[in-house]
Amino acid sequence: MSIEILKLGLLSTLVGSERIGFRNVGVGSGGAMDTFAMKVANYLVGNAEQESVLEMYFPSCEILVRNTELISVTGKGFDVSVNDTPISSWKPIVVSKNSILKLNVRRNGGRAYVSVTGGWKSASWLGSFSTHLGVQAGGHFGQVIKKGAVIETSRLSNAKDSNAFNWGIASSELEKVYTPANEIRCIESIESNLLSQPSRTAFASTEFTISNTSNRMGFRLSSSPMKLDKPINLVSSAVDVGTIQLLPEGNLIILMADHQTTGGYPRIASVVKADLPKLAQLNPTDQFIFKFITLHEAEKLLVERQTQLEEIRKSCLLRMRN
Amino acid sequence: MIDEVTITSLNENALLVSFGNTIDVAVNQLVTSMALTIVNKPFSGFIEVVPAYSSLAVFYDPGVVRSKNKIHTTAAEFVTSYIREILESTGKIRDHSNARKIEIPVLYDGEDLALVADHHRLTTDEIVSIHTSTLYRVFMIGFLPGFAYMGTLDPRIEMSRKTSPRTSVPAGSVAIAGMQTGIYPQASPGGWQLIGRTPIKIFDTAKSTPCLLSSGDTVQFVAIDKDLFDSLNEY
Repeated sequence: MSIEILKLGLLSTLVGSERIGFRNVGVGSGGAMDTFAMKVANYLVGNAEQESVLEMYFPSCEILVRNTELISVTGKGFDVSVNDTPISSWKPIVVSKNSILKLNVRRNGGRAYVSVTGGWKSASWLGSFSTHLGVQAGGHFGQVIKKGAVIETSRLSNAKDSNAFNWGIASSELEKVYTPANEIRCIESIESNLLSQPSRTAFASTEFTISNTSNRMGFRLSSSPMKLDKPINLVSSAVDVGTIQLLPEGNLIILMADHQTTGGYPRIASVVKADLPKLAQLNPTDQFIFKFITLHEAEKLLVERQTQLEEIRKSCLLRMRN
Repeated sequence: MIDEVTITSLNENALLVSFGNTIDVAVNQLVTSMALTIVNKPFSGFIEVVPAYSSLAVFYDPGVVRSKNKIHTTAAEFVTSYIREILESTGKIRDHSNARKIEIPVLYDGEDLALVADHHRLTTDEIVSIHTSTLYRVFMIGFLPGFAYMGTLDPRIEMSRKTSPRTSVPAGSVAIAGMQTGIYPQASPGGWQLIGRTPIKIFDTAKSTPCLLSSGDTVQFVAIDKDLFDSLNEY
């Protein structure tokens, strides 16, 4: 019925579905950084994809599970254990009452998602359980979860210690999403043609490093400065998660889940939707290259990802019934 | 005007219709009426629109667009041709029936009011009188949830933003920058010149329609005294 947070990472929040339909009043979609891991975490415990899931970020955390629950841990970058016995992520797990769930950082990923049957009890705001830290609404009282917090489940668990689940998400499915880890595909965006020719060449060949000042709003990248053909002052206009903006000092920022809805910096490219979960799992100091693909290919990749998720959802549902 | 329109992909789930790079009432009216037309007559797979000064973003789900509209090309091409059709009709429609006039009470006691007055060699009363005698258009909402970019300011009180932004501007602050005026809906870092504060919550998470203003609205600021401010204060 509840868990208690004994120790936790820097920025843990409850996330649900994306918040749709309010960009015109300045409220972005928000939600999970890695939407693939978040949705699959829900499917693995028999939930609909919009249920509230705990998003955990570096460093490690410890959770007291007070009652026997069916949970799953997805994402990347953590070794998971229950009462110090290692367990697999990306599968349904019954955790017995008064157990300690630990997530230890392993550093080849950045975010983990902990789901429970029925979802964590959350405030819904504008149709989503996702925490909006800016206006302090949704999720766990609109706030970052703090040490000592008690989070209830939405409904009583009927999980039993005797339940055993011997299935999970195949590694081949995960490879489709997360590999190769150091290559992020992108497409042209509104102001791509304003970038100078040398910067365009550099963009496609430079190894970029995620900077330490990155957060849920955006990943700042360090590289040699990029330039436009000539400086321009843009009036504010729409941006989206994955939009790559050129900042005045010549560095790039990739907008992430909690980005503002509009901006005035040149949008020189856009990370394809299918690679956003992979990008979300990169950490400060991680390096990667951009690979340009066509809009047509990006669209196909997005539809393939939607199909993949739908197949995972159905197969989890079937196995849960058997 | 339609000749100057460009339709470009922001990414694989949004197109941006751009009417140039300008702050102009006529252009913004076109943005607003186009937004309204699309929302009232959406295509299968449409998600939402984001109106801005001189552009309109149209968000869609490519998977739904492709499966529901029996298309042989990309979702982007389908939505582009849909937008072109809307543009043909919007060119003729100049009426925007959603225009509302909203009065916003303001106590003009902002920290920068005297600074703005000094800058223009006017009295603070004159600044207030000029700021309240213009009807402002809500050009767009962005930056923060509920932050309305309004204009255009009377040139007699225009002032550029602060060179060093404040680390925290209180919620409800009424401010000016360049030819624009706005209200901070939440406490936030900000570089605009603060001339007053409204007791009204212009963005209220407790309401099902949290945002008081919409793009295309007309706003009239009304000066109030401290007593009235205190009795109306929602913060």
